[in-house]
Amino acid sequence: MPIQKQDLRRIDDCVWEIPREHRSDMTVPVRVYADDRLLEDALGDRSFEQAVNVAALPGLVGQVVVMPDVHQGYGMPIGGVMASSVPDGIISPGAVGYDINCGVRLLAAHMPYRAIQDRIGELAAALYRNCPSGVGSEGRLRLSHDDFEALLKKGSRWALERGYAQRADLPHTEENGTIAGADPAHVGTRAFKRGRRQVGTLGAGNHFIEVDEVDAVYDEEAADVLGLFAGQVVVQIHCGSRGFGHQVCTDYVSYFQSVVRRYAIRLADRELVCAPLDSPEGRDYLAAMACAANYAFVNRQVLAHFVRQTFTKVLGKSVPDTELHQIYDIAHNMAKLEEHDIGGERRRVCVHRKGATRAFGPGAAGLADDLKPIGQPVLIPGSMGTASWVLLGTPGSMTESFGSTCHGAGRVMSRSRAKREVRGDKLRADLKKRGISVRAGSMPGLAEEAPQAYKDVDRVIDVVAKAGIARKVARLRPVAVIKG
Amino acid sequence: MTELPFEEIEHTADWAIRVRGRDLPELFARAAHGMFSLLADLSEVTTTRELDLDLRALDYETLLVDWLNELLYQSEEKHVLFTSFEIHEITHQDAARLHATVTGGAVAELKKTIKAATFSSLAIEQGPDGHSVEIVFDV
Repeated sequence: MPIQKQDLRRIDDCVWEIPREHRSDMTVPVRVYADDRLLEDALGDRSFEQAVNVAALPGLVGQVVVMPDVHQGYGMPIGGVMASSVPDGIISPGAVGYDINCGVRLLAAHMPYRAIQDRIGELAAALYRNCPSGVGSEGRLRLSHDDFEALLKKGSRWALERGYAQRADLPHTEENGTIAGADPAHVGTRAFKRGRRQVGTLGAGNHFIEVDEVDAVYDEEAADVLGLFAGQVVVQIHCGSRGFGHQVCTDYVSYFQSVVRRYAIRLADRELVCAPLDSPEGRDYLAAMACAANYAFVNRQVLAHFVRQTFTKVLGKSVPDTELHQIYDIAHNMAKLEEHDIGGERRRVCVHRKGATRAFGPGAAGLADDLKPIGQPVLIPGSMGTASWVLLGTPGSMTESFGSTCHGAGRVMSRSRAKREVRGDKLRADLKKRGISVRAGSMPGLAEEAPQAYKDVDRVIDVVAKAGIARKVARLRPVAVIKG
Repeated sequence: MTELPFEEIEHTADWAIRVRGRDLPELFARAAHGMFSLLADLSEVTTTRELDLDLRALDYETLLVDWLNELLYQSEEKHVLFTSFEIHEITHQDAARLHATVTGGAVAELKKTIKAATFSSLAIEQGPDGHSVEIVFDV
C-alpha cells in the first residue's frame, strides 16, 4: 500500500513522522525532514515504503530518520539513517549498500579563483588525464598482496606512509581515515582481485572531481577556522570503494540470505538482510566493511594526491601558491559504532547511514582539536552544474538524528527519463555558456546526471538548517567538472 | 499483445526491469539478457568467448541474484559482454542449482556500469502464463 500524505503527522515546519502504528511490523517510528515540496517529491516514489521496511528491522532504537534529499533506493532508501542497539541489535550489509564509504573530500587552495580563471580549461583537461576515470578504470598503483592487505587494515595511515597523504590530512578525515577492526581474512578473493587494480580511480556513475569557487560565506568565523574564504578555489572529490566495496556487499548480501533464516529474522525486504551484531557473521561483515571503508579513504586520498600534483604541474610556474590543504573527508554510506544520547540515556549504537552524512556537533569525541569548538565539517555535493555546500554538525544533529544530516541534492527523475529529456552534448554546451567546463567519458552518462534529474540542493540545505541538524558555512559554485 | 522478454520500469536512482518467462530457464536467460542490454547494444557484440557456469544457492531468488552478479563479475574480469544464455538446467532439491553456458564478446569501450543486482522487493512470481520478476540494479 503506497504511503500517502495523510499517513504522515506534521511535528514541526520541516519535521514529519510516520508513527509506529502505521504498520504492525514497525519496531520504531520514521522521522522525515522535509518541507512541503520535498515531501511531495518523496511521496512520488517508494522512499517512505522503504523507510517503513527499515523500521520493521529488529533491535532498532529511537527512530528511522529520513533526510530531505531522500529517494528510492534498494532495500533502504537513499537518505536514510537507522541505529541498532549494541550489542543486541543487528548489522545490515544491504542497508550500508554496495558503494561502502562512498564519500566526499574537499581540498582548498590559498588563492582566489580569479588568479587561475584563464587557465581553468587547461586545468580541467589535465585533471581528466591524471585522475583515471570511467567504467572499470584501473589505477597506476601496482600493489603486492601484502601491501594491499596493509592498505585495507590501515586506510589513510597507509597512504601517509606511502607518500600519498600529508600529515594534516588525517585529522581532517572522518575517523582519521582508518576504521578500526578491518580484517582482510573476512574479504573474499574476488574483492581482492577487483580492488587491487582500482586504487586511485574515480569510476563512473555520479562520481566526479569538481573545481569550485567559494560563492558565499555564511559563517565567517567557522570558515576562518576551516581555512575557507569567499572567492577561493576548492576541489571536491566524490567517489567510494570501487569494485572492492561492491564485491564485499554482493558477497555478504548473498551469504546473509541464509544467515537471517539461522537467526529467525523476518524481513520486509530481502535486500535488508542482516545478522546480530554480536554474532560471528555480524562481526565478520563489520571486519570486511571496515576494509572497504579504509579502501575508499585511500582511494580518495590517492586521487587527492593526483589532484595536488596536477595543480602544481599546470599552475606551478604562474601562480605562487598552488598547495591544496584538506578541509575534510566524509563518508555517506557506512555503518559505525557510536555513542548517542537516546531518550535521555547514553547508548552505544550501530548507526547505518545510507546516503546520509555524519554530522557531529561541537565537542564531539573523535574530532580534531581545531574542529572541536565548531563541530564536524559536512560536505554536500550538489547536482552537476549547481551549488555544493559546506556545513557543520550541530547539537541538534546529535540529539535528533544520531549525529547525521543530508548527503546531496537527491534524485527526483529516473535515469532513463533524464536520457530521454536531456542530450549530453547539449548539456555540456549549456554548462560551458554558464562558465562551467565539463570533461566526461560518456555523453549519455552525463545526461543521466543532468541537474534537472535532481532536487534543488539549496532547498535541501534550507531544510536541514531550519531543522537544526546542520548549519551553513559556505556555498560553492562549480567551474570545472570531471566525470567518468 | 506481443510479450516483451523484459521491460525497463521507472526507478528514481537505479535501473529496474520486469522480466517474464514461460519457465525458470527462460526467466533467468531473459533477466541476464535484460541486464546486459542496459549496458550496451548487444547486436554490436561479436561472440568470441564461452563460459560454463554451475551455481548453487539457497532458493530461486538467491540463485537469480547470484547468477546475475556472477555474470557481472565475469564480464568485468574477462572484459566481455555476454549476449547469449543457454540454461541447461535449473533444479531445486536440497538447494537451488543452475547449469548454463554463456557466450559473449568484447566491446570497444563500456560507457556504463552496474554495481550489482539486488534483492530489493525481489520475488519470483508464478502465474498461469509462466514466471515473472522485477529486478533492481544498483548503478
